[in-house]
Amino acid sequence: MSLESTPQPLIEASALRKMYGPHLALDDVNLTIPHGATGILGPNGAGKSTLFKCILGLIRATSGEGKVLNMDMRTEGHLIRSKIGYMPEYDSLDPGLNAIDQVRYSGELLGMNTSSATQRAHEVLEYVGLKDQRYRKIETFSTGMKQATKLACALVHDPEILICDEPTNGLDQRARRFMLETLRKTVTEGGRSVIMSSHVMDDVQEVCDRIVMIHKGRIVVQSNIDELVSQVEEEIEISVWGGASEMESQLSSMGMSVRRLGRNMRVSKRGDETYSRIMEAASACGVQVRKMTDYEPDLEDIFLLIMEKLGEGVKGTDDLMTDDHMGVSV
Amino acid sequence: MSKEMDISDGVTRMESAFGSGDGDRDAKATVAKNAEIKGAIFEQSYRPWRGSLGPRWVRNYSIFRHHVYGLFSSKGHRSYPVMVRLTILGIFLFSLSPVFMLFLASMGGNGELGEILSRMWGINRYNLWGQVLGFFPRNMCMWPLLTALVVGGMISDDRSNGTSAIYFSRPVTRIDYTAMKFVSSAVVLGFVIVFSYLLYYTSAIVFRGEGWAFLIDTFPMFLGGLLAGILLVITYTSIGLALSSISQSRFFAGVAFLATIYGTKMVAFLIESQFDSSILYIFSPYDVLAHIGQWLIGIESNYDHSLAFSAVSLLLMNGISIALLASRVSSLEVTRE
Repeated sequence: MSLESTPQPLIEASALRKMYGPHLALDDVNLTIPHGATGILGPNGAGKSTLFKCILGLIRATSGEGKVLNMDMRTEGHLIRSKIGYMPEYDSLDPGLNAIDQVRYSGELLGMNTSSATQRAHEVLEYVGLKDQRYRKIETFSTGMKQATKLACALVHDPEILICDEPTNGLDQRARRFMLETLRKTVTEGGRSVIMSSHVMDDVQEVCDRIVMIHKGRIVVQSNIDELVSQVEEEIEISVWGGASEMESQLSSMGMSVRRLGRNMRVSKRGDETYSRIMEAASACGVQVRKMTDYEPDLEDIFLLIMEKLGEGVKGTDDLMTDDHMGVSV
Repeated sequence: MSKEMDISDGVTRMESAFGSGDGDRDAKATVAKNAEIKGAIFEQSYRPWRGSLGPRWVRNYSIFRHHVYGLFSSKGHRSYPVMVRLTILGIFLFSLSPVFMLFLASMGGNGELGEILSRMWGINRYNLWGQVLGFFPRNMCMWPLLTALVVGGMISDDRSNGTSAIYFSRPVTRIDYTAMKFVSSAVVLGFVIVFSYLLYYTSAIVFRGEGWAFLIDTFPMFLGGLLAGILLVITYTSIGLALSSISQSRFFAGVAFLATIYGTKMVAFLIESQFDSSILYIFSPYDVLAHIGQWLIGIESNYDHSLAFSAVSLLLMNGISIALLASRVSSLEVTRE
């Protein structure tokens, strides 16, 4: 596990344990989240929500201790919540209010006076792309606009940490892209830190530099994404035209480790000579190699690899999703 | 490398990236076309905020304002539907009907009409009790309906819309949330019930030009009625909010409140008519309040059972309602499990 160069981490927890009766929700969690963007990953029921509640100081850990922005999770919850912007996963907006009023009220609930909250509501609604829709009632909003409004509510007081629970839930491609860009910009331009949970690995990879993975209440991985990617075995991906079976046999007979799906194959990279050996194999069996490239594993690969190592039968992150997670056209 | 788990030498998943097929036959490749990117005039820039956050009372006041001002103005506040507003206005105006009658009586001078109107609507123990606790029309048609309309959605709306997350992910404690919802509801009810009572008493003095002697004479019974009104507001708010907190629908909460008020009274009335015992009225919130109100104002009781039963019942009703309310509010989630 590597730590960023920032001297004071945003969140630190040691031996954090939370039990709901006999059910162990968090099991000796040792966590360090530095400034920047961090993705919280894990299957449903892994303990992500419980971790968020601990971070927000809403529930008291059974044992262990933790600090958020150097404030005690157990005793300074209200102070922590005034420094955090939380964007819930599910609907949390009053459908009868205009977007501007909803965001303003969210600011007032933090202690902002009405004029500051109103001014700030205009700013953040513009930032999340709802400048022209701010006087519309939320009940008329699409899913993407509602998500953006929730983000505006979370950003209204310019929090040091923005926690987003499944921010791209139910968004179409365009709205999803905008949401991710906005989150990224909040980190890069705004200098704020984002902690997001998502089942969509691409989303996490797009925004975050670092992941924390929870499984059955335990932290199984917390690391930079690049660092994790570098651990996965390097492979060369090739795509052949005709004679794929022959090519596979030829590569195997040449002592190379090969995995095949249809016309695509991945060959374990054992140095630069692997490229030439692949071409030799193709030449030997008269197969066209249409594409040959280094395969760059993504976060989904890492997630599935970890799940496999944990003995979970997850074939893809789609297995973790409910209907709510699926994108709908808006 | 992560110390939690070692994933080195793991291999990635395989999936077909360029179409299906076993790769042994020639196949046609499908080429994806990039989506056309249309330009948009929008410059997104993050602006920091350098203000400071106010203390607890600022947050609490905003909750109060949000719920109370919405009755008068939809701008920036929880807006009450137009029909609800009109109904509340109707109830308020109707509760002021004795004021109009007193005004009419004062216009009539010392004539026969003025005398009759004064006797019917003037200040006396029975009229003061009736202004707050009279069964018809106030406690049959007005106060329960008013409570159902105001309190029904107070917490159930947060539950159904998920807006509780907006509160609890901020430095608003559950105690503050509950207390401010209670105060907001009670203020709206109090505005109609207690304020109309105050107005009635004041107008009786002003319209008839009463002096200190009248004031000294009637003030104790006025205070009794005022206390009865406040008890009514507190009790109806407690029960209404408790019902609102167990529901996701303002309609259910409202109907359940009306059913509680009318149902308990109806059952107690039937039992009394069959068995000549008024004891079951201790389960009827209205009758408990009416019994205590009669004692406070100093009029003869309609009930056979001891006042202590009603007093204990009132405490229990409020206690149980607030305990239920607190328990249900504590179950409101910020994250959904």
